[in-house]
Amino acid sequence: MGTKKTAQLGKKPFSIVKMVTILSFLLPSFIGFVVFVLAPMIWSVILSFTNYRGGPNYKFIGLENYINAFSSPDFWSYLWITAKYMVITVVFQIALGLFFAVLLQNQFRGCGFFRGVYYLPNILASVAVGIAFMTMFRPVSEAAGAPNGGIVNGFLISLGLQPSQFLAGQDTALGVIILVSIWQNFGYYMVLFIGSLQNVNTSLYEAADMDGAGWWKKFTTVTIPGISPILFYGITVAIIRGFQMFDYVYVMTGGQFGGGPAGSTNVLAFDIYKMFTQSRYGYASAEAVILMAIILVLTVVQQKGQKKWVVYDVV
Amino acid sequence: MNILKYVLLIIVAIIMLLPLVVVASSSFKMETEIFEFPFHIIPRNAILSNFEQLKDNFPLYTWNSIKVTFITTVVQLVTASTGAYVFSKIQWKGRNAIFMLYVMSMMIPSQAVTVPQFIIVRNLGLFDSHAAIVLLGAFTAVGTFLIRQYMLSIPEAYNEAARIDGAREWTIFARIILPMTKPVLITQAIFSFRYFWNDFYTPLLYIITPTLKTLPLGMTDFTTEQYVYYGPQMAAALISIIPVLIIFLIGQKYFIQGVSAAGVKG
Repeated sequence: MGTKKTAQLGKKPFSIVKMVTILSFLLPSFIGFVVFVLAPMIWSVILSFTNYRGGPNYKFIGLENYINAFSSPDFWSYLWITAKYMVITVVFQIALGLFFAVLLQNQFRGCGFFRGVYYLPNILASVAVGIAFMTMFRPVSEAAGAPNGGIVNGFLISLGLQPSQFLAGQDTALGVIILVSIWQNFGYYMVLFIGSLQNVNTSLYEAADMDGAGWWKKFTTVTIPGISPILFYGITVAIIRGFQMFDYVYVMTGGQFGGGPAGSTNVLAFDIYKMFTQSRYGYASAEAVILMAIILVLTVVQQKGQKKWVVYDVV
Repeated sequence: MNILKYVLLIIVAIIMLLPLVVVASSSFKMETEIFEFPFHIIPRNAILSNFEQLKDNFPLYTWNSIKVTFITTVVQLVTASTGAYVFSKIQWKGRNAIFMLYVMSMMIPSQAVTVPQFIIVRNLGLFDSHAAIVLLGAFTAVGTFLIRQYMLSIPEAYNEAARIDGAREWTIFARIILPMTKPVLITQAIFSFRYFWNDFYTPLLYIITPTLKTLPLGMTDFTTEQYVYYGPQMAAALISIIPVLIIFLIGQKYFIQGVSAAGVKG
């Protein structure tokens, strides 16, 4: 009888109606996916081996774009700036997100207000945020007779400290951008973690209490393992976003021809845009492929590494 | 301990709100007063000239932003919900493989596909048009994923019963499943709205004609090679922030749900 049943299931007739139905549901998203994601991705790889600049005459030049990139000190400095930005923002966004998630996970007077306010910057346009911080971090000048500048420098001076050049300083510009990014994004990870903290089984905490565990012990043995899948997801998202950062650099450090004082905020994503505006499509594609490859490698490394610390079966 | 906690929370809340206060306050100040020491919240001579400087272009930018955001959000809801349905409620060969491709595409940074996207859009004759922004935003892997997860939690029995009654898939989708997914559709609509209202990168690449600019792009009008006009820029930022702020205050729970739901995949 068992064989008869499988035979019947296997003999499901090929149905045009069913295929048309499936396609009618699938195509609206699938066409967009193929035309604007999948094909461009493959095309990027192909273009990266050409000297395409938009004109009809272009040819395959093998690895030349890649060789040019890796033998250029500028390219290495863009990579280094990107890495600094990515690592610092990921660490602080995740750590602050986790810290405030733990602080705000329980219901108490005002917790909804604080959650809302901390998450709020995340909904704002990065352009508006960039403009706001440019105003706040404006360097001091004597132009109007009396010293004037942004609110942050005013605060530093009132404390008797030295004002800073901030976005106009070679050593400080990237730091300001990192600060802005942390300010705008840690609330996202906080909300992400609060949702997950509320699903951690309270009996595990009670058991730890009975063992006489302190709060740190409970944090590392119950909380972290309990939310580790979401923590892992959060870190993955933060890393990918870290590599993509573009808006702040454009808005806060000089627009299309910018990249900060002495190129100090010129991240790889911004250089891809710059090469793009100069119609150096082949080279821009090579940089894009390198960016994709780095993210891919990091993701694979993370996937392998997660087995050591991510726990999926804690209920 | 509790007092310490409140003090910390309040200090951080002030830091979070300060930039918004600076924007709101500066937009009513003269250029010189914006950077006066010490900073004061209430302008000494409140002026409206920053807003008056916006009246030539910004009504149009705002209208462009509303148009592009609305259309793209609707298109995203259609592609994401139909996609979610075919990946959760219908069995077919290759379903999981294609869905995996969708999920993997979330990892691709937008800069990595910029050049070919640009060539495609140009060849379609859509460069420098709002249609370019809409088309580039039509597919959403995250949205499809989000709605699919929600549909998976709806018991199969609804589909089975309707199919026995002879209902067609589109009828089941439109009459039964879609109404049940309303909360996640609202969440997705809010996230799409926020994304396209704020998006800077795509309009920067594809819009050249000034009359086609959206708000985020228009906001940079006051930054020139030589000088930044802070006052009007603050006023423009304030105008762009207010709609999202209102939606956030009304629909805060949907934002929170959206963030948490996106994390469910772990």
